[in-house]
Amino acid sequence: MLNFILRRLLGMIPILLIITIIAFLFVHLTPGDPIRIMYGAEIDQETYQQMRESEGFNDPLIVQYGRYMYNMTIQGDFGQSYRTRSDVSDEVLRRFNYTFVLTILSMFWAILIGVTVGIISATKRNSLVDRVGMISTITALSIPEFWFGLMMMQVFAVQLGWFPTSGSGTWIHLILPSLTLGFGVAATIVRFTRSSVLEVLREDYVRTARAKGQKESVVIWSHVLRNALIPVVTMAGLQFGFLIGGAVVVEQVFAWPGLGSYLIDGILTRDYPVIQALILLFSLQFLIINLLVDISYGFLNPQIRYE
Amino acid sequence: MGIHKKIWFIMLLAFVLFLAACQGNNDVNETDDNETPDETIDTEENAGNNEDDMNDGNNEEEADHGGEVTVGIEAEPTSMDPQNTTDGNSATVQSTMFEGLLRFDEDMSIVPVLAEDYDYSEDATEVTFTLREGVTFHDGTEFDANVVKENLDYVRDSDNGLARSSFFSFIDEVIVDDDFTVTVRAEEPNSAMASYMAHSSAAMKSLEEYEKKNEDEDYNLDREGAVGTGPFQFVEWRDSEHVIVEKFDGYWNEEELARVDQITFRPVQEASTRVNMLQTGEVDLIFPIPTLNAGELEQEDDIDLYTGPTTDVFYIGMNFENEKYHDLDVRQAMNHAIDKDGLIAQVLDGYGTIADSAIAPNVYGYSGQPIYEYDVAGAQELMDGSGQPDGFEATLWTRNNTEFISVAEYAAIQLEEIGIDVEVQAYEAGTLFDMLDEGDGTDLWIGRWSPGTGEADYGLRPNFASDRVPPNFNNSGFYINEELDELFDEALATPDEDEALDIYADIQQRIYEDAPWVFLHIPDAIIAKNQNLEGVYVLPSGAVNLNLAEFR
Repeated sequence: MLNFILRRLLGMIPILLIITIIAFLFVHLTPGDPIRIMYGAEIDQETYQQMRESEGFNDPLIVQYGRYMYNMTIQGDFGQSYRTRSDVSDEVLRRFNYTFVLTILSMFWAILIGVTVGIISATKRNSLVDRVGMISTITALSIPEFWFGLMMMQVFAVQLGWFPTSGSGTWIHLILPSLTLGFGVAATIVRFTRSSVLEVLREDYVRTARAKGQKESVVIWSHVLRNALIPVVTMAGLQFGFLIGGAVVVEQVFAWPGLGSYLIDGILTRDYPVIQALILLFSLQFLIINLLVDISYGFLNPQIRYE
Repeated sequence: MGIHKKIWFIMLLAFVLFLAACQGNNDVNETDDNETPDETIDTEENAGNNEDDMNDGNNEEEADHGGEVTVGIEAEPTSMDPQNTTDGNSATVQSTMFEGLLRFDEDMSIVPVLAEDYDYSEDATEVTFTLREGVTFHDGTEFDANVVKENLDYVRDSDNGLARSSFFSFIDEVIVDDDFTVTVRAEEPNSAMASYMAHSSAAMKSLEEYEKKNEDEDYNLDREGAVGTGPFQFVEWRDSEHVIVEKFDGYWNEEELARVDQITFRPVQEASTRVNMLQTGEVDLIFPIPTLNAGELEQEDDIDLYTGPTTDVFYIGMNFENEKYHDLDVRQAMNHAIDKDGLIAQVLDGYGTIADSAIAPNVYGYSGQPIYEYDVAGAQELMDGSGQPDGFEATLWTRNNTEFISVAEYAAIQLEEIGIDVEVQAYEAGTLFDMLDEGDGTDLWIGRWSPGTGEADYGLRPNFASDRVPPNFNNSGFYINEELDELFDEALATPDEDEALDIYADIQQRIYEDAPWVFLHIPDAIIAKNQNLEGVYVLPSGAVNLNLAEFR
C-alpha cells in the first residue's frame, strides 16, 4: 500500500512538469497583454515598453520559462500578481482555505441529499417519490448555477433576510453559496446512486440474501450499498476535484474570495503568475484526489488490491 | 454489521474534515485580527448599524457615532499608489486618503486643495503654487514644497516604472522657491498644467514611504504605501474582500473632517449581487449599475439613484488605411445612418446623451457641434454621390461585454440600411487592444475614450494626432491630419484661457465635420445609495467622492 502510494506520488512529477510547460505556453501565447489590459491607453508607448522590459516580457519565451521555473522550484517564489501586486503563493494559500471550506460543505450537502434521495428512488422505483426525485434532479441539473444562485439570494437574503447576500466572514456567509453549489452535484449523485443501486439489486447475491430471509434493511445496507457506492465514490471524488478548483460561477455571484474568482480575475487581466500557479495547483489537486479515490476503493471493497 | 460502521466512519470523517476546515479558516482570521485588532469587529458593528438603519430608522445614534459606510464596487483596486493607477475603482478608493495640490469638483472645474493659489507665467511654461501650511500626513510628517518636488520627481523618473510617469513627462523641472512655494516648469508651453496637477495621480505621498522604498527594494508601495494627507487613512486591503480606510483625526481641514469613522470598499463583480446587497442594506452605496437595474432601483423608496453624464465618449472608429473610408461623404453618411436617440433609448435605457463632439461636455475645452441628425434618406444620397453607391462589407470589432456588444449590434443593423454590410466580431478587451495596437486588419471598431485629465488636449490628441498611430496608443484608425497636429501644439502653448478655448473649439469643429469617427453617445454614470447616506457625489470621470459622506 505504502509502496503503491509512493510510486503514484513519484509518477506525478513528470506530469506536473509537462503541465507547467502547457500552462506557461497557454498563458503566454494567448493574445492580450497584462500591462495594456491593466493600464489601458493611459500610458504611452515609452512607459509601456519600459514596463514590458522590466517584467521581462521582451525576453524569448524559453528564457521566461526558465526564469519562472527557477523562481518557483529553487526560490519557492510563484511571483507577484500583476493585478493587485500581492504575493501569489500567500494569496493562493489564503484563498485555498475559502475554497476548501466551501467545497467541503457543498459536498456534504451533495452527498447527504444525493445518496439519500438516490437510495430511496432506487428502492421505491417508479413510485411517486422516485418520480418527484427524478424530475427534481433533471431540473437541478438544467438550471444555470448563476441564475439559481441569484434566486437563492433573492429569496433567502433579500426577501426573507435569513442570510447575508454575499461576501465572507462568518459561517452564515457559507450557507447560500454551498447550497447553490451542492445542489448541482447532488443531482448528479442522485442519478448515479439510483442507477448503481438498481443495477446491484438485480445481482444474484442480493436475491440470495433476500431468499435466506434477511431483513430488507440489512440487504440494502450490507449487500447493496457496499457494492453500489463504488462508482458513486469515483464520481463524488471527481466532483470534489472540480469543486476544489474553485467554483467559478458561484464564487463570482456570491463574491466569495476563493480560487475560482481568483482564476477568473487572473484570466481576464492576463495575470500570468496567478494563472500559472492555479493551473498547477488544480492539476496537483486532481492527481491527489484520484489517488485518494483509488485508495478508498479498497476501503469499500477489500477485494481490490493495490499492485 | 461491519459495513455500517465503515459508512458511519466515512461520514464522520467527512464531517471532521469539514469542521477542521472551518477551524482552519477561523485560524486565518484570528491571525489577521492580531495584526490589525479592530477591523473584524468594526465590520460586524457595521453590519449591525446598517440593520439599525433598515429596521428601526434609529439615526440619531448614527450621527453621534459617525457610523461606517460600506461601498460595493465593481472591481478590486489595482494599487494604493495614485502614481501607479489608471483605473477608476482605484482612484475612488485612493481619493479618500490622498490629496493633490488641486482637484476637480463636480463640474470639472479646478479648485485648490494643498495649494492655496496658483499662477501661470506669461508664456505658459511655468506655473507657481503657493502651498497651504500646517498640513500633516497620516504618519505625522509635514507637507511642504520639498514634498511636492520629491513626489513629482519620483513619478516622472521613468526608472521607477510607474504607470503615470509619462503623464508627467511635460515637466522639465520642479523648483522649490521657499518652504511653501513651488514652481513647475514645463519643457514647452503648456496651458493645461493646472489640469494635470488636479488629476488624481498628482497626489502627494509622504516622503517616508519613498525612504522605505529606497532602503528596501521589495517594499511594496502599491499595497502598503498609502500615506497621504486625506481625511481617511489606510487600514487594510484584503484581495477580493475589502479595502478599509478609517477617519484621520489630524486632517488639516477641520471643516471637512470625515463625518464617518470608517469606509469599507467591497469588490462585488456581479452587478445583480451589488443591487441585492444594497436592497438588504449590506452596503450603503453601489456603482456602477447596469442601466436595466437602474430603472428598477428608481422605484424603491429607501434607495436614491444619482445619474449624471460621464466624460466617456463612445464612437465607431474607422481605419483610414482602408480606402472605403477615404470619402468624406461615406463617413458622414455613416454618421447620419445611426439613430443616436434610438440607441440611447433602447440600448442604454435612456441613461445617456448624444455625443456632439469628440469630447464630452464635462471636459474642459468642450465645444458642442450640430449633430449628425438621423436621416437614412439623406445618408443614402450621400452614399449615392460617393464612389461606393452600393455600399460595402465591413467588420466591426467590439469588446465582448454586454454594453459594447449591444451598441455594436445596434449600429450594425442601422448601417445595413445604407448598404454597409457589417459583421460584428466580439473580442475580449485584452485581445482587442492587441489587435488595434497591431494595426493590422483593423476595419471598424467600437471605441470609448475618456480624458483622465478632464481637459481637451488629453481628450483629443491621443485619438487624432499623427504620432499616436499604432503601435502607439490610441489613434488606431491611422487618422492623419497635419493641420490638427499644429493646432494641438498651438492650443497648449496659449496661456490665455479664452484664446486656448477658441483653438479647441476650432479643432473640435474640424474633427466633427471631417467625421473620422461615427460619434455615438456619452453614457451616464449611475450610483445608487441608501437614502440615509448623504454628502456623496460622482465626478464626471466616474470616480465617486466619499470624503464628506455621512448618515442622516
